[in-house]
Amino acid sequence: MQIVVCVKQVVDPEMPHSAFRVDPEQKRVVPPPGTPPVLSPFDQNALEAALQIRDRLGAKVIAVSMGSSLARPVLSRTLAAGADELILLEDPSFRDLDSFAAAGVLAAAVRKIGEVDMVFTGRQSSDWDSGITGCVLAEELGFPCITVASKVEIADGQVRVERVIADGFEVVEAPLPCVVTIDSALGELRQVTLQALSAARKKPLRLWKAADLDLPPLPPPRCELLDLFVPKRETNCEFMDGDTPGAAAARLAERLREEGLL
Amino acid sequence: MILELKDYLDDMKRCARCSLCKWPPLAQMKSWRFSNNCPSIARYNFHTYSGGGRMALGLALAEGRLDTITDELLNIVYRCTACGACDSSCKYNAELEVLWPIYSTRAHLAGMGYFLPEHSMIIDSLRKEDNTLMKPKADRGKWAEGLGVKDLSKGEKAEVVYHAGCLYCYDPELSAIARDTVLLLKQAGVDVGIRGSQETCCGSTAFQLGFQGEFIKFAESNIDDWNAAGVARVVTSCACGFGIMKSVYPLLGRQMKFEVLHITQYLDELLKQGKLRFSRSFPARVTYHDPCNLGRKSETYVPWKGTEKKVLGQFILREPEKAVSRGWNGVYEPPRDIIRSVPGIQFVEMERIMEYSWCCGAGSGVKQTMNDLALWTASERIAEAKSVGGEAIVTACAWCEQNLKEAVRQTGGNLMVYDIVELVRQAL
Repeated sequence: MQIVVCVKQVVDPEMPHSAFRVDPEQKRVVPPPGTPPVLSPFDQNALEAALQIRDRLGAKVIAVSMGSSLARPVLSRTLAAGADELILLEDPSFRDLDSFAAAGVLAAAVRKIGEVDMVFTGRQSSDWDSGITGCVLAEELGFPCITVASKVEIADGQVRVERVIADGFEVVEAPLPCVVTIDSALGELRQVTLQALSAARKKPLRLWKAADLDLPPLPPPRCELLDLFVPKRETNCEFMDGDTPGAAAARLAERLREEGLL
Repeated sequence: MILELKDYLDDMKRCARCSLCKWPPLAQMKSWRFSNNCPSIARYNFHTYSGGGRMALGLALAEGRLDTITDELLNIVYRCTACGACDSSCKYNAELEVLWPIYSTRAHLAGMGYFLPEHSMIIDSLRKEDNTLMKPKADRGKWAEGLGVKDLSKGEKAEVVYHAGCLYCYDPELSAIARDTVLLLKQAGVDVGIRGSQETCCGSTAFQLGFQGEFIKFAESNIDDWNAAGVARVVTSCACGFGIMKSVYPLLGRQMKFEVLHITQYLDELLKQGKLRFSRSFPARVTYHDPCNLGRKSETYVPWKGTEKKVLGQFILREPEKAVSRGWNGVYEPPRDIIRSVPGIQFVEMERIMEYSWCCGAGSGVKQTMNDLALWTASERIAEAKSVGGEAIVTACAWCEQNLKEAVRQTGGNLMVYDIVELVRQAL
């Protein structure tokens, strides 16, 4: 069995608030010095899902990441955690792709890998939170897609998935090969040991450029980013007076109604 | 932000490759044997390992002249204890910033996602357990069990909060020193409390490794917690913690409503006030090792912004005037005064002391990631202590003590290594 896990390098969502900056001209988040990118948290859950299946049934787990400038030490963590191989899809033309184009590149990579039984992605990335790439990737590959999975099991050539829904979970089955997007409810990525970090240096790391992929022309962006800004948060505190608590409460209700909040 | 490589472009460009960063100033040099000041260049003997070489490397990085970041480059960048000796030596003659470009180079690389794999474990531990040692957060306050000391995290109030620091909390041998410290403070009548399991790392290791974002989170959280606790003084045994609280915390722009003291300063004060008195003799020939973070690196750093003008073709005049941290105002006398006041002790200085002190080798994550460099550096210090007839070496930093002890064990010597609190406890 061969499992591909798509992992994205993102700006650290846990960076200190005071260090967070947006460049309104470039419409980009400015990563502060000394704050390395990280693996998108849901993609870490996706890798854990693949490793759990590998532990139970035996499989080759291949981590794939795409971008224009990928940080090896960050992405090598996938190998240290247990992935058998890491493929970096790195090319200047892969800079700032939207979810549809990104899914096209990832699909080309999956096709190049060959026999793939499952593809895991995070339910969404922590930078743009679109949650589109996994579904479009399935569409590109012609695979069924199950989203927001909290548990994944494989038996008799079928995948059985527990999906998180608003009031609990539902169970869905699909034939292999398929794409599953993983939720944090599946569990955190396992702890990495120092020995595993050393061993990861000997695992295969491949670099594929755009020219190495049988890539159709990338679709034009379907979304246009009009503006990017940190919303202003204002807090005004007003005390309601009244001769009695009841009168103060009545005054409060009036004020809330005036503001259109009631 | 604090660590911006581009802020140091002028310093890096102005480095004349004079190599004075590699040795203590000539006037301070006492012998050929102990004439090095930088463990990294002394051990590896290739210019890039020196302060000046690191400036050249930082400049190349800032100007985008490095196409690829190789493992070897990262090894060079992190084979440095960031002890700041290069900075003090350079400033004896010039006014170049050397240490902060080193920090900023690391922050620049970390921002690009380049660091050593071992660093990711240290940072993971910080994010999950609030310490750099991969120990459970819940166990942090266990060292103080049975002491009956106030726990500020449970709403109790105290005038002084004792911040033990990661190593003192988790290392069993060093925890005994933290317990002794609390007992000493209580004996002196100090209204002291701790933060138990809520105490967190000071962020020093993250800062020195270049993980500025992680550092800021811990620093801001500590400042806010101590302000909220209403303490007048924060006293710490951790020299790294003291150094970072004094030198870098003030740059974050948060009001610090408390005074930061290292335990050596506080014990010195209590001894001079007569609240603690020595009654026993300690007959030994003892020398003192200055921890870098307690000494030259504990001066509050003042970033300079302004204009530079070259006059007479070579002199640089700055407007406004630049405050230069030369390491002169570190904590040097309090620990020495404590040692000198112990009855029966014969205090002797080593050759490289105070702002020109030789590092123990453990700093800046080197102990955790490159123990060979850490132990070689410590063995050099042990040789220096022996050369002046020292029977014991006293220090005031958990990392220094741990590293020096390991090096003594490895080299099979008979030099005793003491934490200054151990010395005080034995002499009371």
